[in-house]
Amino acid sequence: MKARMKSKFLIVFIKELRETLRDKRTLGMLAMFTLLYPLIIGMTLHQLIDKSTRTEREGVELAVIGASKAPTLMAQLGQRNITVKDTPPMDEDAIADLLRGKKVAAVLRLSDDFVDNYYAMRPARVEIWYDSAAESNAQRREVEEVLEAYGNNVASARLLSHGVSPAALSPVLVQRYDTGSNASRSAMLVGSIMGVLFLPAFMLTMSASVDTTAGERERRSLEVLMAQPAHTWELIGGKWLAAGILGVVGVTFELVLAHLMLKWLPLEEIGMSWSLGWGELALVCLVTVPLSLLASALYVTLAMNSKTFKEAQTILSFAMIVPIIPGVVVSFMDLKTATWMYAVPMLSNQTLIKEMSKAGGAHALPLLLTFLCSAIPALLLVAYASWRMKSERYVLAV
Amino acid sequence: MIEVHDVRKKFGAVQALGGVSFTARDGQITALLGPNGAGKTTLLRTLVGLLKRDHGTIAIDGVDPEKDPMTVRRSIGFLTDQFGLYERLTTREYLTYFGELNGMDRAAINRRTDEVSELLGMEDILARRSKGFSQGQRIKVALARTLLHRPRHLLLDEPSRGLDVMSTRALRTALNSLRADGCCVIMATHVMQEVTALCEDVIVIAGGHTVAQGSPDELCQRTGIASLEDAFVNLVGTEEGIA
Repeated sequence: MKARMKSKFLIVFIKELRETLRDKRTLGMLAMFTLLYPLIIGMTLHQLIDKSTRTEREGVELAVIGASKAPTLMAQLGQRNITVKDTPPMDEDAIADLLRGKKVAAVLRLSDDFVDNYYAMRPARVEIWYDSAAESNAQRREVEEVLEAYGNNVASARLLSHGVSPAALSPVLVQRYDTGSNASRSAMLVGSIMGVLFLPAFMLTMSASVDTTAGERERRSLEVLMAQPAHTWELIGGKWLAAGILGVVGVTFELVLAHLMLKWLPLEEIGMSWSLGWGELALVCLVTVPLSLLASALYVTLAMNSKTFKEAQTILSFAMIVPIIPGVVVSFMDLKTATWMYAVPMLSNQTLIKEMSKAGGAHALPLLLTFLCSAIPALLLVAYASWRMKSERYVLAV
Repeated sequence: MIEVHDVRKKFGAVQALGGVSFTARDGQITALLGPNGAGKTTLLRTLVGLLKRDHGTIAIDGVDPEKDPMTVRRSIGFLTDQFGLYERLTTREYLTYFGELNGMDRAAINRRTDEVSELLGMEDILARRSKGFSQGQRIKVALARTLLHRPRHLLLDEPSRGLDVMSTRALRTALNSLRADGCCVIMATHVMQEVTALCEDVIVIAGGHTVAQGSPDELCQRTGIASLEDAFVNLVGTEEGIA
């Protein structure tokens, strides 16, 4: 009698899973999160990499009106890899049009009396036209630097010819040291990407958790189920696992897709790294399994007390924010990775993948803590929910 | 056989059951009559071990539902007052689910599904998902679920509501054959015709107490009233609560 041995827990699990998979909304969510998240991450990073490498690749294009008036300036621009496009005179509208076309970073216009003023040692006017809303601000700054350097050179030469040391003009010597590396600049971005990676654990498990508890109550089928020869832990357990497994499958697929994407992108261009191997990814996926199970345990425990699907949904959409908070706080306060972070569900997963992607390699303690900090509360919640279902107050409210 | 002796149950300050005693014998259909709010649902829930009594004893074939609810539930088919089906499951899948929960194997489930659906005349909806079923179809599915695992005891809360004439007849046939099999059937109902036509024994409860138990004839004799309905009203002592 093999079938007789089939555990009630499994019977409930299979039935709930089958019913859930017949729900088109749930399937749509599953597909959307597993495909969309890695795609969005990939596209964001791709654009970032593209932007940061564009300057080096292409240099800066600069339109200059009246270039022949200042050949030395043009030569200096050329030395800084700025391509000068000699442009015939144009009016304001035409310049705005040209900038809007994004072919040039800025437009330089030398006034008609530039040469006269230059030789008369009056300030010779150079106009720089730019679109501050465009993405070429860094390139425009480069042009300005050249202009400044050119001005200083001319000034120095003039002072020297009058017997004054040019040093008198620079009472203060400013030197800039930027300690910010590419890596620290992209740390925020990496943090937010890691935060997003594990969110589907809490999104994919919601609908099934609500449907099998509050939904079952709303449809008035729960009393019949509770009157069957099955223990409450078998009923709760089956429902919990059915909802949780959706999260497990979704998050695993999503992590694999994200991994493929991140391995393929030239992340070093923006100072990011993704030194995770397939084995390490498998470990991350494995210790992330309890996260989805914690999500569904939390949802089942909360939703079983709601009388309707809608009521439960409202409560759960508040509950969903809770796991995001630690990660946001940590990145907001700019805290350094510490061991306690591995003991906070969700934050532990985010920290784990962040550290592993930076340095590679797997350490037992963080992995174990990450696994347990979700697994233990999940089991406790299931135990609590089973106990709650047995209580008379719950039976009466069904 | 279901033996209930002086069962009391209090919810906070409300005395839902104040002392219910009766015996429902095997091979008989026992009607459970009582106005709305008399404590029928509480009684049935206590019988399957969903609620714990404060006082008294319950023995279902000698087993106390509070001590061993699993054994008791395996021997009971429970049709609740309100029930929902699973809209994304077909009738056959629904029956299979509850068959498995009651420890039946696939072969037994398939055989019983065919038998029960023939008995209730519901072959046409076996392969359909329950979304959009009429009230009659829904109650047939629920009844089939109740009968599937051949329980020794049946607790039916208004099994005939929403059924058309043909289905009511089918239900009656089903109940008669269950009686012939020696099952112990307790049926809560508000339809007196059904009681006179089907039931050997009647339990009248009101305000959480057993007011009377006996055959329909005995109840009429005791009250000196010829019609069971009037006798019932007389026993309950009020006009309210009659469907």
